Amino acid sequence: MPPSQLKQLKASLRDSGVIRPQQSKKQKRENAKTGASAQNRNQRNAALQAIRDRFNPFEIKAPSNRSKFESTTRDGPSTAAKGYRPGVTKSLGEERRRATLLKEMKDRHKTGGLVDRRFGENDPTMTPEERAAERFARESQKKMRKESMFNLEDEEEDFQLTHMGQSLTLDGKTLDDFDAEGLDGGESDDEKSRKRKRVLPEDGEEEEEEEDQDFIDFGAEGEGHPERKKSKAEVMKEVIAKSKFHKHERQQAKEDDDDLRDELDKELPDLFEALRGMKAPPKQDEPAKQDLAAMNPERAAMMQAPEQQDTEKQYDQRLKQLTFDKRSAPTDRTKTVEEKAEEEAERLKKLEDDRLKRMRGENVSDDEDMADDDKDSFFAGDESEEEEDDAMAFGLPTSSTVPRPADMGVEDEDDFVIDDDLVETRSNVSLSLDGSDMEEEELSEDDEPEVAEQEDELINGMTLPTSTTETAVGITQSATGKLAFTYPCPADHDSFLEIIKNVPAQDVPTIVQRIRALHHPRLKPGNKDKLGKFAEILVEHIAYMADETEEPSFAVIENILRHIHSLAKTHAINVATAFRARLREISKVRPLNLIPGDLVVLSGISTIFPTSDHFHAVSTPAHLCIARYLGQCNVEDLTDLASGAFAATLIVQYQAVSKRYMPEFINYALNALCNLAPTELAAELRAFPPRKIAENLRLESSKKISSRKLQFDDVINSPNDIKGEEELKLSLITTFASLLGSSSDIWAEKSAFTEIFTPAQVVLQHISKSFKNKVLPVKSALDKINAHLTQAHLTRRPLFLHDHKPLAIKSAIPKFEENFNPDKHYDPDRERAETNRLKKEYKREKKGAMRELRKDASFVAREKLREKKERDSEYEKKYRKLIAEIQSEEGRAANDYEKEKRLRQGKR
Amino acid sequence: MPAPVESSKKRKSVKNGGAPSKRRAVAEEDTFAETLSKIQELENQITESRKHYNNIATLISMLNIEPSAKEPELAVAVSLCRVFSRLIAAGNLTESNRAAENEKIIVAWLKERCLEYQRALMAIMREADPTSQITALTLAMRLVKERITHIPGADNNIWATLFKDIVTAVVEANNGQDLQTEFVSKFVKEFEDVRFFTFVQLAEYADVRRSPETLDTLVSILSSCDDAPAADHEFESFFVPRETKTKQLNSVNAHKKRAQEAWLAILRNNLSQAQRKNLLRIMVHNIEPWFSRPELLMDFLTDSYNVGGATSLLALSGLFYLIQEKNLDYPQFYTKLYSLLDADLLHSKHRSRFFRLLNTFLASTHLPATLVASFLKRLSRLALNAPPSAIVVIVPFMYNIFKDHPTCTFMMHRTIRDKDVAADVEKNGMNDPFDDNESDPTRTNAIESSLWEIETLQSHYHPNVAAIARIISEQFTKQAYNLEDFLDHTYQGMVESDLGTGERVLRKTPVVEYQIPKRIFTDRLLEEDGGVDSGPAAFLRELWDF
Repeated sequence: MPPSQLKQLKASLRDSGVIRPQQSKKQKRENAKTGASAQNRNQRNAALQAIRDRFNPFEIKAPSNRSKFESTTRDGPSTAAKGYRPGVTKSLGEERRRATLLKEMKDRHKTGGLVDRRFGENDPTMTPEERAAERFARESQKKMRKESMFNLEDEEEDFQLTHMGQSLTLDGKTLDDFDAEGLDGGESDDEKSRKRKRVLPEDGEEEEEEEDQDFIDFGAEGEGHPERKKSKAEVMKEVIAKSKFHKHERQQAKEDDDDLRDELDKELPDLFEALRGMKAPPKQDEPAKQDLAAMNPERAAMMQAPEQQDTEKQYDQRLKQLTFDKRSAPTDRTKTVEEKAEEEAERLKKLEDDRLKRMRGENVSDDEDMADDDKDSFFAGDESEEEEDDAMAFGLPTSSTVPRPADMGVEDEDDFVIDDDLVETRSNVSLSLDGSDMEEEELSEDDEPEVAEQEDELINGMTLPTSTTETAVGITQSATGKLAFTYPCPADHDSFLEIIKNVPAQDVPTIVQRIRALHHPRLKPGNKDKLGKFAEILVEHIAYMADETEEPSFAVIENILRHIHSLAKTHAINVATAFRARLREISKVRPLNLIPGDLVVLSGISTIFPTSDHFHAVSTPAHLCIARYLGQCNVEDLTDLASGAFAATLIVQYQAVSKRYMPEFINYALNALCNLAPTELAAELRAFPPRKIAENLRLESSKKISSRKLQFDDVINSPNDIKGEEELKLSLITTFASLLGSSSDIWAEKSAFTEIFTPAQVVLQHISKSFKNKVLPVKSALDKINAHLTQAHLTRRPLFLHDHKPLAIKSAIPKFEENFNPDKHYDPDRERAETNRLKKEYKREKKGAMRELRKDASFVAREKLREKKERDSEYEKKYRKLIAEIQSEEGRAANDYEKEKRLRQGKR
Repeated sequence: MPAPVESSKKRKSVKNGGAPSKRRAVAEEDTFAETLSKIQELENQITESRKHYNNIATLISMLNIEPSAKEPELAVAVSLCRVFSRLIAAGNLTESNRAAENEKIIVAWLKERCLEYQRALMAIMREADPTSQITALTLAMRLVKERITHIPGADNNIWATLFKDIVTAVVEANNGQDLQTEFVSKFVKEFEDVRFFTFVQLAEYADVRRSPETLDTLVSILSSCDDAPAADHEFESFFVPRETKTKQLNSVNAHKKRAQEAWLAILRNNLSQAQRKNLLRIMVHNIEPWFSRPELLMDFLTDSYNVGGATSLLALSGLFYLIQEKNLDYPQFYTKLYSLLDADLLHSKHRSRFFRLLNTFLASTHLPATLVASFLKRLSRLALNAPPSAIVVIVPFMYNIFKDHPTCTFMMHRTIRDKDVAADVEKNGMNDPFDDNESDPTRTNAIESSLWEIETLQSHYHPNVAAIARIISEQFTKQAYNLEDFLDHTYQGMVESDLGTGERVLRKTPVVEYQIPKRIFTDRLLEEDGGVDSGPAAFLRELWDF
């Protein structure tokens, strides 16, 4: 038979060490010192709790779904398997509700009341020590922060130990600076901030430990610690606070005395006056003066300034200045000339590397994602396209979105139509001047933009404000005589034309210079936009100059182009937009008939923008424009061929660095040569599509002529006499030949060099033969091509393109998860997994919240019922009491009546 | 305001002209009304009795078609049509054998007038302004209808004479666009018998050599006819309602036969090159369906195919139709096809059309690899001189073919196994084994060659084209490219996609050349560099003076 309950209890108490033999005093003291007693207390509480639980088997409810088979999991037995204690949870919940909900219920229709906002006051999870420590930490933090601007207690140690108002510092010096001002101001501030902070944690903490409490937690419950005696630290703190308070009071009294004394002192002169019998004029600035004496002189001076507002502003400004003032730091050593040169070389090298990177189509390191973005914007036509288009992947526009241009005159590559309306009409505006005059002007003026440019380069694209340019203007003024010094920044091209209407062409750069100087972005906030607009106008203007003037002055155009270039460094978007607008106009209006302005703009592009880039917002479309012109244009006379030659030259120049292949160039050059050659080519060449020119442009080889350098003028005007014409033809032949020569240099590395240049070789041989090898450029070009062809033959190897690593065969083996955990979700789709997780969490939370609300409701109902019962019973009691009272009174009255009656009867 | 002679003209000009004085307008109205009433009166008189038959002559003279029928009096024409319709309906234009002599004379006289009227209508159709032309056409057709309906047994005769005249007049009319459209839409398309006889007449008409303009008209009329009727088509809409219809008119085959004859007559005529191209273009959709024996087209197509250039390209689809449907045996088809790949092909506007067909022709995986390789190599040669829009087609096309003919992939990747050969190549380089001049695609040795051209195009100036060319050297993981997506690109489209519409601001700041050049066009500051011109645009300055 098992021992009785009592005996069992005693045994278990002894086993767990709750009851143990009496300890000696010494032991006790030791324990207290090491803090073992507190630990022991905790242990004891836990043990007691465990024993209580063990001895009350009715509280434990067995789990409803008993596991059928013995199983082992990695996680160990689940919590549910142990059974739970509904009674405990219920009572816990009840208790908590009583603490929160009931309070709320009671306070429902009440306003006001006292709220204890001290930190951790209502937090049962904190021990008093923790509470105190936390409060102390907060206090000191607040002090450290020094929120108040006028907080003067910077250096003071706030928590100095004192005794009886005396500092306990070792050096014995009393630091008496418990400032009333600081205390008052600070306190009010502190109070506020504390309030703000306190709201949050209290709200947060209430719901925190709501969940999971249906299950038994056999560990320490973490609450219900008995009230403890105050620790030594706390006592000390109290003492400190008290002493501070006393000190403050003393100081206050002393200050009051001082004030009073001051007041009296101030009234002394009045008193003297009164004694003399005269009244002094009333003093207006009495209060100000009052403070002045106590202030430091600088501040006083500031305060004395007439306007308070102004002073404050000044003060603010000064303060800001001070905060932004640079700390003095050791300066870099002045660099030697070599070092500077080296640095410059390094910078250039980096820029060149960047260019090469862009050429290869790689992203330049610092703006990788930007480039990606850009690719989207540039290449992808419509991203919202429903069906997938293979061509879109390569950035080609979908054929459906780009309608074939019907109204363009040229329907397609096959037939070439020239629209007469599109041939430019040259106006008779003559802005050119005689050459000699110009040369001289040119020289005198050329120096100063160079200076500006140098500056430009040095400070990396930022022109200096007025100072330098002002002098520059001074210089030019002497050279050019009458020019205004100030010009408005034009808003469109027409107004710019208005400005330069009466100005000789060679002065235009000076005007541009002045406009740039006058509207330097540093001078006024709006100037940056203005200059951007101005850059666009200049782009328009160079084309205008080449188009409209009879003999465009290329010195001026060049100068303006360089201005544009310099502006482009700061206003790249504007300049690029202007160039793109021009290209768009070309492609819309006259894709196959480039006018001089277009050629100038295209050559401007070649210097301003890097044409070697893999993709560039300006140079790529420019390439296309030229290629389209070369590939499709209609050649009718020598000027067409001249502009073709110019375009071809531009192309070769464009590709000088990146060495990209351009089929249209080869086609055009070979066709032009075939058409210009003195005799027709005997062999039928199959490589390039032949284009016959209607008019016979063949060179009459009989005449004695020499070739010359081509003029830009050849693009505009054709020579009048036959000799000039023949000369031009010969020059065109030599130009095209040397273009082919240079292009063969550029493309020498191409694997299909043989295929590209064999036709060129044949054509050049033919021409050279008909000249009997006398024309040098043709000969040299031919030699060059021959040399490259032999080289190409030697270096030719079969293609070896697919040396890839072989692709892995797709495997169908299911993925095996190492350390599989059934509770974890292995959804490869991260998004879906995340949504599932959120859904689950939401469901759980919702269930919990509903359960809690239901419990709350029942609690409230219960409470109400209880209250009602209480009220009812009270009422009943009162009623009974009253009844009893009345009855007793009645009884008494009845008795009295009986007595009286009896008395009367007795009398009778 | 021009002084009009005719009242109708006057009325028109009143309507169209500015604001003439009211009185004058009233006066014109009056004259117009007068003429109308006079015409009405004359017409009524004719109806009333035979005595007034001479009015017909008066009316005809009033038609005002002499010397040219530029400004005919339409009201008169309409009234005359009414008159003749009535007469025909009343049988006044049919002579019976038993009729009296004078009757016969009257009928003969009437017939003569009728002919005269018809001639007048034809003249109007040929010469007058479009409105009058159309009116005349309607009137003439009405006469046709009346005569066929009311004169039994005359139909063949009428179709052969009057209708023939109408068709000829329609074809030869001056400024006849509207007239022809009207004729086609109101009559030919509407009524199946009219269409039938139109075919007959056109075939007859086109038998003789005609001028190119006339042929154009004929082609436009014929091609705008409805689609060919299906085999079980029920003929229902007839211009002339009859109880007993001739068999011919109810048979689909007969219809087709006539159309076929008409077309053949045109095809045999002296066609200009442009017309030939045009015919070839509409061949598959408009012409071939009418042919019950399409093999008759064979000659035309093979001739066109042999012309070369764009004409061959266009003939290709018709020929393909014949090969596919009619089992035409075309000897050396692929050789011919191969010869079409010339320098102009990629610059032609029929490029897309050709590639679609070429895609079909080379789709078979049973073709010998040597042949396919020849096509590939040839195309890659052409790509070297092609516009970007063509390169963009060629490369994906090649990709697809490589997928179908893995043997050809040697053209992209080849290791020389033979050590001696390898050493030789290493030392002396190599020639392209491909024979460009060989016309037989099975003998070009292309499969021994490599596609250096495409590899070169990987450095094409346009980034997108270069990217497409690069698919040849990447792993062939994609099943096939959809060729349709790559066809039909143009310079314009590419420029537009690069430049945009200009509404969007550039998202990224474009890179600017970091160094401002000292000189662009001139020899500025050349001395500073020691007289050596270098730096950007030096090449330009070397070749050009400014």
